[in-house]
Amino acid sequence: MANLAAVVGIGQTKYTTKRTDVSIAGLVREAAVNALKDADLTWNDIDAVIVGKAPDMFEGVIMPEIYLTDALGCNGKPMLRVHTAGSVGGSTALVAASHVQSGTFKRVLTVSFEKQSESNAMWALSNPQPFSTHLNAGAGGYFAPIIREYMRRSKAPYNVGIKVAVKDRLHGARNPLAHLQKPDITMQEVEDSFMLWDPIRFLESCPSSDGACAMVIANEELATKAPKPPAWIRGVAMRSEPTMYAGRDEVNPQAGRDCAADVYKQAGITNPRKDLDCAEVYVPFSWYEPMWLENLGFAPKGEGWKLTMAGATSLDEGGDIPWNCSGGVLSSNPIGASGMIRFAEAARQVRGDAGAHQVEGAKLALGHAYGGGAQFFAMWVVGSQKS
Amino acid sequence: MSQPEILNQAFELGYTYTRSTGPVVGRFLTELKKRNIVGIKASDGRVVVPPMEYDPDTAAELSEFVQVGQQGEIVSFAWVKEPRAAHPMQVPFAWAMIKLDGADVPMIHCVAAAAESDIATGARVRAVWADETIGFITDIRCFELV
Repeated sequence: MANLAAVVGIGQTKYTTKRTDVSIAGLVREAAVNALKDADLTWNDIDAVIVGKAPDMFEGVIMPEIYLTDALGCNGKPMLRVHTAGSVGGSTALVAASHVQSGTFKRVLTVSFEKQSESNAMWALSNPQPFSTHLNAGAGGYFAPIIREYMRRSKAPYNVGIKVAVKDRLHGARNPLAHLQKPDITMQEVEDSFMLWDPIRFLESCPSSDGACAMVIANEELATKAPKPPAWIRGVAMRSEPTMYAGRDEVNPQAGRDCAADVYKQAGITNPRKDLDCAEVYVPFSWYEPMWLENLGFAPKGEGWKLTMAGATSLDEGGDIPWNCSGGVLSSNPIGASGMIRFAEAARQVRGDAGAHQVEGAKLALGHAYGGGAQFFAMWVVGSQKS
Repeated sequence: MSQPEILNQAFELGYTYTRSTGPVVGRFLTELKKRNIVGIKASDGRVVVPPMEYDPDTAAELSEFVQVGQQGEIVSFAWVKEPRAAHPMQVPFAWAMIKLDGADVPMIHCVAAAAESDIATGARVRAVWADETIGFITDIRCFELV
């Protein structure tokens, strides 16, 4: 049985297109300092640092963890870098949590980041290889046919994705840290935006953001003494599966279902829609909301879109299970950090510290990240109570 | 026995990147453009050149810039007998750790000298500036013996 651990500090940067005023180290540092401030701690209070970011080729900084040692106060301390493509922010938080749950460290700092303005995330996703056919697709090109298959199977109306795009941007308008601020966005505006990768329109896609997110995770004893309410980690799970093999269901990946079942079991969740108060789920393209609603067990197969269309996932429509109250990946996407932002925003909700996008009285929240060709999954459930 | 055929395929991978250098490295590079060399004062009082953003001991954010001399002394060196195309000089030269006057840690750069025997630990050198400075470390074309 693992020891209890909790999030005691959260720090983020304001997500934006370009942070030309800071180096990569300066950006990462900003989130880390904000997390220490939130926890009322200093560098000396940290036992180890766990860093995550998306593939090195994005910014072309090979082994950025070495370059970031000074900025993160790691001299003389253990430092570890985690790497699981787009889900890395989530798995980095889980690796950090496991170092506390195992009793190895009392208090760790975990940070993830991406400076998309200085990177080449579009093409560095699918590097050509000798003697192989070049996939030559960015994320949108890869996921578009999978979305189309979901639409065919579920017979969902064409505008489900449009609805998600509007809903998440309205959520984002409540969150001053969100990159896109579109309080007046309409279904028509999304529908009229140009088609990038059919059926994904421009406004149904995530932006390219610069940003970093950090958390301090502490053991039970230290978390109990923390100045602000801790977010108790009630369940942690990761799963992966190969990108391509015959029979793989890319619309509803087994690894995602297994990961959810595992994390729910740990947290004592039998009905996620009913038991959870809200969820922060990795939705970089609008249609992934209905797809993940089914994959994560919030709706029966083929019916995720009905929750979306009924407003069940909308804060503004008073939905019973709001998804991505922070605005989600559709409002801010510093890739390496995006998964950790989901985990951190879930923690903010159960700490009662989510400002204008707070779900009233939230006690139990899910943080979710996926990456690669929807092949890496990382999830945690955090609660305002220990059990 | 016949030799197996070796398959070959041309392969080149390249992307364009940009960088924001931030307030510390950015200042160092901007000063180079003006033919100045600046370091930064660390928490223990040492002057570090090139300047670093965060203190190596305390992790504190550093901001106290210090102008250092354009001359200094060689702390250590390696002689390059046969320069390659990527080297900064196409004639034999030395890579050297140079402690500039007013700095407490050495900085690496190249030193022009006629022969290896002219170079020694403790030898005095001075910066030679490029004809056109652009805000890059190569604005210091090399160091030469005083």
